[in-house]
Amino acid sequence: MYRFLSRTVCAARSSSVIVYESCALPTKCEKAMANQTEKPVVLMAEDGSTTQQQTDVKTEQVVAKQTQVNTDVPKSGKESLLDLLGAMKVEVTNKRRLKNLKVKQNFESPPEYKSKPAAMESTISMFQKATEEASESLDPTLVAAASAAAATLPNSNQAESELLRQLRQRKAITEAQKKGDISNLGEIIAEMKVGKKQTRQNAWAANQIRFDDDGRGYTHDRGITAELVGVRERRSFLLGKRLNIFSPSTEEDAVESTPTLWDVEFANNLSQVTDQIPRNGLEEMIQWTKEGKMWQYPVDNEAGLEEEASVPFHEHVFLEKHLEEGFPRQGPVRHFMELVVVGLSKNPYLTVQQKKEHISWFRDYFHQNEEILKNDDAYLS
Amino acid sequence: MVSPTQKPSVCTNMAAPGRHVGHYMKRNGRFLLCNIEQVLGHRSFGCTTAVRQVAEANKESAESIVIPRKKTWSKEAVLEALASTVGRDPTAYSYQFQDDPYLSPRSAVEFKLYSLSQESGRSAAKYFINSNPKFFTKDFAEPHIPCLMPETVSPCLEEVSEEALKERINLRKVTAAVDMYDQLVQAGTAVSMETTHSLLDVISFYCDRDPAEEEGPQTEDTESKDQKKRKGNFRRASDFLKFSWKENNNAERIFNLLPERDTRCYSALIRGMVKHEAYAKAFNMYTDMLNNRLTADVHIFNALISAAPEVRDKYHEKWDLITELLKQMNEQKIRPNLLTFNSVLKALRRCGFLAKTQALHTLSEMKALGIAPSLASYEHMLAIFHRSGSSGPNGTDLLQEVVAELAETNFTCQDPHDVMFFSCAIRVCLDNKDLELGYKVHSLVEFGENYRLLGDPFNQSVYYGRFFNLLCMMEHIDEVLKWYKRLIPSLYYPNPQGMKDLLQALDTDSRLDLLPSIWKDIKSLGLTNRPDMAEELLSLMTRDNHSPEIQESFAACALDIKSVFDLKFSLEWTNSSLSHVTMLLLRANKTEKAWEMLHLFKSNNRVPSDDLLNSFLSVCRTDDAPQKAVELVQMSAAFCLPTTPQLAKRTLTDFNLTEEQRAILSELEAAGGEPSD
Repeated sequence: MYRFLSRTVCAARSSSVIVYESCALPTKCEKAMANQTEKPVVLMAEDGSTTQQQTDVKTEQVVAKQTQVNTDVPKSGKESLLDLLGAMKVEVTNKRRLKNLKVKQNFESPPEYKSKPAAMESTISMFQKATEEASESLDPTLVAAASAAAATLPNSNQAESELLRQLRQRKAITEAQKKGDISNLGEIIAEMKVGKKQTRQNAWAANQIRFDDDGRGYTHDRGITAELVGVRERRSFLLGKRLNIFSPSTEEDAVESTPTLWDVEFANNLSQVTDQIPRNGLEEMIQWTKEGKMWQYPVDNEAGLEEEASVPFHEHVFLEKHLEEGFPRQGPVRHFMELVVVGLSKNPYLTVQQKKEHISWFRDYFHQNEEILKNDDAYLS
Repeated sequence: MVSPTQKPSVCTNMAAPGRHVGHYMKRNGRFLLCNIEQVLGHRSFGCTTAVRQVAEANKESAESIVIPRKKTWSKEAVLEALASTVGRDPTAYSYQFQDDPYLSPRSAVEFKLYSLSQESGRSAAKYFINSNPKFFTKDFAEPHIPCLMPETVSPCLEEVSEEALKERINLRKVTAAVDMYDQLVQAGTAVSMETTHSLLDVISFYCDRDPAEEEGPQTEDTESKDQKKRKGNFRRASDFLKFSWKENNNAERIFNLLPERDTRCYSALIRGMVKHEAYAKAFNMYTDMLNNRLTADVHIFNALISAAPEVRDKYHEKWDLITELLKQMNEQKIRPNLLTFNSVLKALRRCGFLAKTQALHTLSEMKALGIAPSLASYEHMLAIFHRSGSSGPNGTDLLQEVVAELAETNFTCQDPHDVMFFSCAIRVCLDNKDLELGYKVHSLVEFGENYRLLGDPFNQSVYYGRFFNLLCMMEHIDEVLKWYKRLIPSLYYPNPQGMKDLLQALDTDSRLDLLPSIWKDIKSLGLTNRPDMAEELLSLMTRDNHSPEIQESFAACALDIKSVFDLKFSLEWTNSSLSHVTMLLLRANKTEKAWEMLHLFKSNNRVPSDDLLNSFLSVCRTDDAPQKAVELVQMSAAFCLPTTPQLAKRTLTDFNLTEEQRAILSELEAAGGEPSD
């Protein structure tokens, strides 16, 4: 039981680094916690009160360890992200090996563990797994413990080496069994699946093709090597050596003279090559607009001002200045003419020239009838 | 913006304070105009006060206000915006044919015929108008539309002067211009250098002959010729018709008579010589120019580089010449342009083993000089790398690079050769069976206005043909059919090979039930005059047994094929196609029709197979038609088939026969039993 506890604690230390430090897997954390708090109940149902106390202690220890690890190693955001990534990776491999670890544990642990509920067993095995991974070679603490134990015995050197040999042997057996487990069929299939997923894209394009027999060449094998070639090629393609004939200078070309026949023909050629048949009515209208066959769509409020384009708006609106000459300063005629001018200023359909002509017609008219108007006192100058 | 109710008040307001702000107006009209426009934008404030405020503000901070620059829109802006909202309808024929549904082209041949006739109609009208301007004097358009009026195609100035010479040059009347020049020189009049340059340009460009006008009524001047090419977009024989540069032609003669020659003169001649394939002469001319201590221009170098592979035989000699030219270019302080490097790359295509490394170097040089490669550069690169053997990077790698670099770019055409890129790129994908890359290339085509760079209809059909071929080969049939609906016939008229690819794809994914609908498309695409097409389809339909409904549709399709065979005399029944049709009819229990088919064997001098007769007999058995069975055996005997006795025997045992029939059959059985004949 002690072995179990120590192992769990040890496992908790390393696994908490993996899972909890990242702090980005709260659900996972909760799940693990839930597992542990659930355990006593389950155990009580199964084994009775003797084990309950032990597990309680263990849970407390584990939690304590976790919080400790959580708090005492502050990490930057980037590091924790890296950890997260690492943790995910480890977990994938863990899952895969979980099964055989369980088997292994069943093999080497005393029969009492067999009665453990499945949930707990898997947790334990995960922890164990982590322990295994942590001590690929013999754990230095283990070595230290062995030497300490050996020190209590007479002939300590021999005892220590014997102890260590024993430990190594056990480890070797474990490794061998692990390997043996890997070779079982389920494992092989799982491995194959993973492999296929990674290479499917390439396999589909190249491998399938290789068996076609229509005579088209397949000089190109897109495997890892081809990718490497691609990388190399990318480098040479983008920043390869150059001819080293010209020097990149910033000076501009001399001013270009008028386009020659060659330039015109070249431009014609380009436009011919890219001009496609219009795909819809609007594109056809664009083409007509370019050819000058169609009235332009108004892009501003000056569209259609061919002859008036150069005339500013105030020429249209402020026409009083044309009344300065040839009209009386006041009186009915002046009043009438002011109304005419207001009317003209609101008329968008006449050109300025027409407006002027209109006014001068009145000028002539009133001039011709000056006598009559004067007689009626209507013409005041 | 301006609602009718608001308009009058605005106008009065504008007029009324006119006296008041009048003097600002005169002094600063444009400025006030801006402000008033601004005010009119927020008309709800009340115009009079606003104008007054503006007038006051005007006094205070006249300097601080920055007048926004006038925004200029192209005259097509509205239409372009509208056109961008119109998607492509994959079920419709090309827009140019929508005027007349009767003339909707259903096959590539019809497409070509109709678009060319449309174009030639336009050109004929144009020719008539231009050659008979006296009938087209009335100007209906208000305002005047110049392009609808007849153009002047013949020179107006008759006297001998430089003006007349210029006119002839502008009208590109080469012989007339040369005559005019000679007259001028004989009269002792000096012709300005500028006019001489353009004269030499015209002569060199058209290789001392009038540009194709005199040949027929189709083309009268380059303007209309260009239009025709632009719209018809078909390759014409005259485009390929090359005139060779003649020794001592008018260009050379005038050139030699010139008192002094500058770079422009040399440039015109060298470019003309290269254009008209007098490559060695061009290089001689260049040496001559150097001896006269003139520096070349970029056009001369571009022309010479493209001519370089023609004047040398060995690969490394060609490349040495090109590098030599580039070095001279650098010495003469001439900046290369895109076309220079494109000519280098094009020349490298003919430099064999040197091409790959040097092409990469050239591309790096371009980038170092800040010249962005155009599609043509990449096309040359692809051609160089695609051809080359297995070692090192090949076309696919390069194309992947290029596609990654070009993704989401709007291309503009910078080199006439640019339009070759897409068909070349898709060829690389097809040859390497790289569907993914093919999709990438196609997404490049579909991006923005890039489809314009697909080139003329011929190029387009090549591109789509390859793309479709790739799809048929690599893609799942559902996807293939999706593309089929999208591309055909609105963008692409498949050729027989394309249709066969599709049939194969259907076969591979066992969707043979779609064959009848494909046959309808084949018929509408005008591919029925190919006997192998129908044969392939029939053999696919006959190969396996299907469910009764499918067999029913197959039989209908087979009858349809038969009717096509009946109509077209160019199609000849082969043994297999006859038996396939008969078999299909039998499977759908159309015994009568199948019986008619059997008679066709006789009339076409074909012999039915044993299998066919046996299955026919089985059908007779299920129909319980002893008379027909007897006739079948008789027919078999008439064909002198070795299987006749067996058939007779089967008939004797399987059917309820009358005495007469028995007698006939026994005789046949006995006759067949003696294989001595």
